[in-house]
Amino acid sequence: MTTRIRHRSLLALGLLGLLLVVVAPFYYVATSSFKLPQEVIAQVPTLFPQSFTLQHYEKLLRSSNFPTYLANSMLVASGTMGICVTLSTLAAYGLYRMQLPAGKFLFRIILVTYAFPGVLLLIPLYGLLSQLGLVDRLVSLVIVNVTFTAPFAVWMLRAFFTAIPGELEEAAALDGATRAQTLIRIVLPLAAPGVASVAIFAFILAWTEYMFASVLILSDANRPVPVGLAGIIGQYQVDWGLLLAGATVTMLPVLILFSLVGRYFVEGLTAGAMK
Amino acid sequence: MKTDKLSILLLVAVALAALAGCALPTAPAASSGAEAGAGSAPVEVKIWHMEQPPHRVERIQQLIDEFNAANPGIVVSQEPQNWGEIYTKAPAAVAAGNAPELLFAIPDFTPILNRLGKVQPMEEFVAEMDALYSFYPSAVEPYTYDDHTWAVPLYNMAHSMWYRKSVFAEAGITPPTTWDELLVAVEALTQEGQYGIGLPANKQLYTDQVVYDFMVNAGADEIYNEDGTLRFNNPQTVEAYDFYRQLYQFSPPDSPNWTWGEAEACFANRTCAIIPQFTVITTYDTQAEGDPEDLGVMAIPHSSNVDASGTIAYSNAVMLLTEDPAKQAAAQEFLRFLLTPGNYGRFLNMEPGLFLPVTEAGSQDESFWNDPLAVKYQSQLETMVENAKNGRLFGFTNGNTFPSIAAISAQNLVAQTAQLVVIDGLSAADAVAEGQRLMEEALAE
Repeated sequence: MTTRIRHRSLLALGLLGLLLVVVAPFYYVATSSFKLPQEVIAQVPTLFPQSFTLQHYEKLLRSSNFPTYLANSMLVASGTMGICVTLSTLAAYGLYRMQLPAGKFLFRIILVTYAFPGVLLLIPLYGLLSQLGLVDRLVSLVIVNVTFTAPFAVWMLRAFFTAIPGELEEAAALDGATRAQTLIRIVLPLAAPGVASVAIFAFILAWTEYMFASVLILSDANRPVPVGLAGIIGQYQVDWGLLLAGATVTMLPVLILFSLVGRYFVEGLTAGAMK
Repeated sequence: MKTDKLSILLLVAVALAALAGCALPTAPAASSGAEAGAGSAPVEVKIWHMEQPPHRVERIQQLIDEFNAANPGIVVSQEPQNWGEIYTKAPAAVAAGNAPELLFAIPDFTPILNRLGKVQPMEEFVAEMDALYSFYPSAVEPYTYDDHTWAVPLYNMAHSMWYRKSVFAEAGITPPTTWDELLVAVEALTQEGQYGIGLPANKQLYTDQVVYDFMVNAGADEIYNEDGTLRFNNPQTVEAYDFYRQLYQFSPPDSPNWTWGEAEACFANRTCAIIPQFTVITTYDTQAEGDPEDLGVMAIPHSSNVDASGTIAYSNAVMLLTEDPAKQAAAQEFLRFLLTPGNYGRFLNMEPGLFLPVTEAGSQDESFWNDPLAVKYQSQLETMVENAKNGRLFGFTNGNTFPSIAAISAQNLVAQTAQLVVIDGLSAADAVAEGQRLMEEALAE
């Protein structure tokens, strides 16, 4: 009994420590965004705000193009998520169920493309997209993001599809269901945690992507949040309050998405680990 | 079967709809009051600059709007960029054929673009502006080589030492002018909760700049010999790095990772008694006490082997990247407008107290001195302008311009040498010898 209590206490302490490590930065960023500038950069940081102001948010939303950056990021992340989920679902199902010639080889090639360092593609991609007239267009970011998220998504979904008993699909076929109906009505609901994981993965990757966005987007009107925020912070002089307000607002969509489908994400990750 | 295909099509359509949303043109480019002359399209001039903070963008837009309204045949627009990416982005844009007509630059950025063959010679235009407003020679020199002037100087930035007069008075010290006095001062100023000075030590541009401040004040401002060979490894450079090591003991423990913003915050929250920085005025005014009577600014102290103080100074300029005569004429017309007193001061004051004039006329421009922040911190600004007159920049000194410096500054090798001294513990002599080796390697590449 004593050992059990000791173990539980240790576990609780460990979890508390982990919670602090994970939550503390978010807490500090979010609460500091409401502090007066003097308190933000105070010599001794304050854990609990001693002042309250909305001036950083006012500046962020009224004097900068941040709302435009936010809308652009939302479009890019949603587009990436939608296309990545669609493509990777169809590709993973095809690789898993259809007797494709060299299917295994194809699957490995997909994994290799995921391992390819993106930075090496930066300049060639710029030239290619420029010839296609896609530089400074949000669609170029969607294309790039899908390129980098889809291989991992295919690999992840294939693991989920493999775990679904083939008998279920055979039963559906006996009942007259077509392949597409089987995929949509039988397989996808069972693989929902995997699809949710892929969706969140694609959304977050697109939401935080900086390198390609900083080079492929030229005009302020088309910048996504990471690039736009880096710009309004400044180089020689940093407005720390503005930076914290920007970081807080940037976190919100991801937090909202997680609160809606986070449970599936965790299930997806753990289930994927066992398969 | 039909339903089945429809289901798939529906699924793909949802995804494509999202993609289409992204492909739709977003907000239109900043409009102007310009209208084309009857029957002809206006000449479009796009500017890329790296002044991204919203208030700077807004000030530039005000000037652009005024210009466009007064010049119906020209439409100028701006696209703010980031210094972090411009070294990759601009060459890529030039190669792909979608470079802007005007691109802001610092001296070691110009050679990179120049190699691509798109930068237009500007000596005639610079001479025209010089006759009208009198450029400071030190602002033009870094852009003059290979028989041409490759950019039009627009504003200057120079380091000074910032301090609080009350903190000095409390410690019983007067502003130091020599290194011996500076060392005594930072030691006296290092007290409970306060460090005598804030110095960076990472492989980054801010460290390059601060270290070069000390090189200039040791008489080691020349990195090259007249014949273009390196002379980084010399007794004056070693003296500068050794002094940096001595001062560094009185800097906060987190200072190795600093860039400009962290240094300013350290000064604003009173953790650092002195910092070398282009300016602290805006931060001091908005995030600290904002007392102009207490804010002190001085020239960077010098070694006893040198007669007077010097500092690092960046003459920021603009390059013309178009070969189209109509666009060239339109771009030059905009630059004439920008350098005209009355407009020029307002342009500089997009960040009051940071950007200094590069013309004699600009230094007397009322629109520069009439800005509320300039009025409040007038004496500090006057000292900054004075300090800037003794500005130097590595690779662009004393009329000798060596474009190959771009390879050295791109890798922050001056800063890396400082790391060898203060982080890795090498002696200044060994570190400088290693620094020269790294520079030779960079140039050979």
